[in-house]
Amino acid sequence: MATSLGSNTYNRQNWEDSDFPILCQTCLGENPYIRMTKEKYGKECKICARPFTVFRWCPGVRMRFKKTEVCQTCSKMKNVCQTCLLDLEYGLPIQVRDTGMSIKDDMPRSDVNKEYYTQNMEREIQNSDGTRLVGMLGKAQNPSDMLLKLARPTPYYKRNRPHICSFWVKGECKRGEECPYRHEKPTDPDDPLADQNIKDRYYGINDPVADKLLKRSSSMPRLDPPEDKSITTLYIGGLGESLTDSELRNHFYQYGEIRTITLVQRQQCAFIQFATRQGAELAAEKTFNKLIINGRRLAVKWGRSQAAKGTDVKDGFDEMGTGLEPVPGLPTTLPPPPALEEEAPANYFNLDPSSSPALMNISLPPPPGLSNPLPPGFGAPMFHPMGPPPPPPMALRPPGHIHYPSQDPQRMGAHAAIRHSD
Amino acid sequence: MPKVKRSRKPPPDGWELIEPTLDELDQKMREELYEYCIRESYADKNLIAKWKKQGYENLCCLRCIQTRDTNFGTNCICRVPKGKLEVGRIIECTHCGCRGCSG
Repeated sequence: MATSLGSNTYNRQNWEDSDFPILCQTCLGENPYIRMTKEKYGKECKICARPFTVFRWCPGVRMRFKKTEVCQTCSKMKNVCQTCLLDLEYGLPIQVRDTGMSIKDDMPRSDVNKEYYTQNMEREIQNSDGTRLVGMLGKAQNPSDMLLKLARPTPYYKRNRPHICSFWVKGECKRGEECPYRHEKPTDPDDPLADQNIKDRYYGINDPVADKLLKRSSSMPRLDPPEDKSITTLYIGGLGESLTDSELRNHFYQYGEIRTITLVQRQQCAFIQFATRQGAELAAEKTFNKLIINGRRLAVKWGRSQAAKGTDVKDGFDEMGTGLEPVPGLPTTLPPPPALEEEAPANYFNLDPSSSPALMNISLPPPPGLSNPLPPGFGAPMFHPMGPPPPPPMALRPPGHIHYPSQDPQRMGAHAAIRHSD
Repeated sequence: MPKVKRSRKPPPDGWELIEPTLDELDQKMREELYEYCIRESYADKNLIAKWKKQGYENLCCLRCIQTRDTNFGTNCICRVPKGKLEVGRIIECTHCGCRGCSG
């Protein structure tokens, strides 16, 4: 290796010299008081083979002494602990974390390619301000909930135990009681977890622990959207005391516009129908197995299609907030698009394939009679670029005709009501 | 020599060879002879000097209190009294195999 400790001592100026290791809580151990030794250029990094500062400490009674195995550059590139090579945030193997955050990091792994890459990354790290992660990890933003579910809640100190006494396994351990190594049965060599390799674990390929975790996560309960694209209702069960319309509404409005909420007190459940399919899917994704209201986890399932909904609709039209009439004049739901086995490319407008290309450029006419309800309090008519004259202000509208929850003056955030009823 | 309590168990091999020598040492030792032995390095002067100090009466060897030999400038593990060492495990120090020379 061109930059390793043995061969090239002329590059000594560029060797790593750090004064604190990058470690996870489990590796440091449970004792808040630690004595640590520091050895400059103590060992070669197990990944990039460059000399680096080795830190060594005891993570607790009856634990083996741990030391840093990879250099700080390698650890920062993947945001992992220098000793155990697990992610610093989640404590998960690199392969699992990359799968969960959909990061595809293709670092070179061989000879000069690797050296060149690490050299460049080191310079980049040096020049950055140190707050954001360098490389692929800096760009990935979304905190993945799959990773949160997989992560351990408490530290796993069994990792820090001493290794198995190989003499004892053969029956030849002369040290007896004072032997610091473990006198236990070694792990089964047929177990796939037995052959792990630090390079494989670091590059995220062929890691048996990661495979096991990913298999476990794929078998966790999931809620799939139904094939019938017109279903936009979610069944919410297990409500109990919090069976109030406003509670549900206050939570679910963030996912999309709610068309109706139907409460069934007897069965402690509710049906929430969204105006858009995406809203319903988003709500399902964000609440399935996660939403907890008033200390209860709600059961979230998909409802059945419009026609098939069997439970009796509660007589909720008198109650403020339920049973909002759909806005008159809006286009109804479109028919589902034809199946994808069609030959015609991009037939979005359902036009006759033989029509002239000029027709393709005509944009859709504005939907007929688009009524635009004004928020109360606005006297002047709104400028409407489409053409139809603005509707009369709200005070002249017959009372009871609210189409959107935001029109309800009793709701939070609404302006002072001009309504006379109620 | 003053009366010392000894175990009732039979001694291991070789005791018959050294017992007469030890008995002679007991009988013939006098202060002048003792100082001669110390001067001629038949006895470890420094170790004996430590034994005279309070707390170091049972010191195993001089290496175990040499703080320069340890990473953090401490004594050897064999110098920790058994009561403080809550592990309850047998510790043999790496220098001399001592299992606890204080407490």
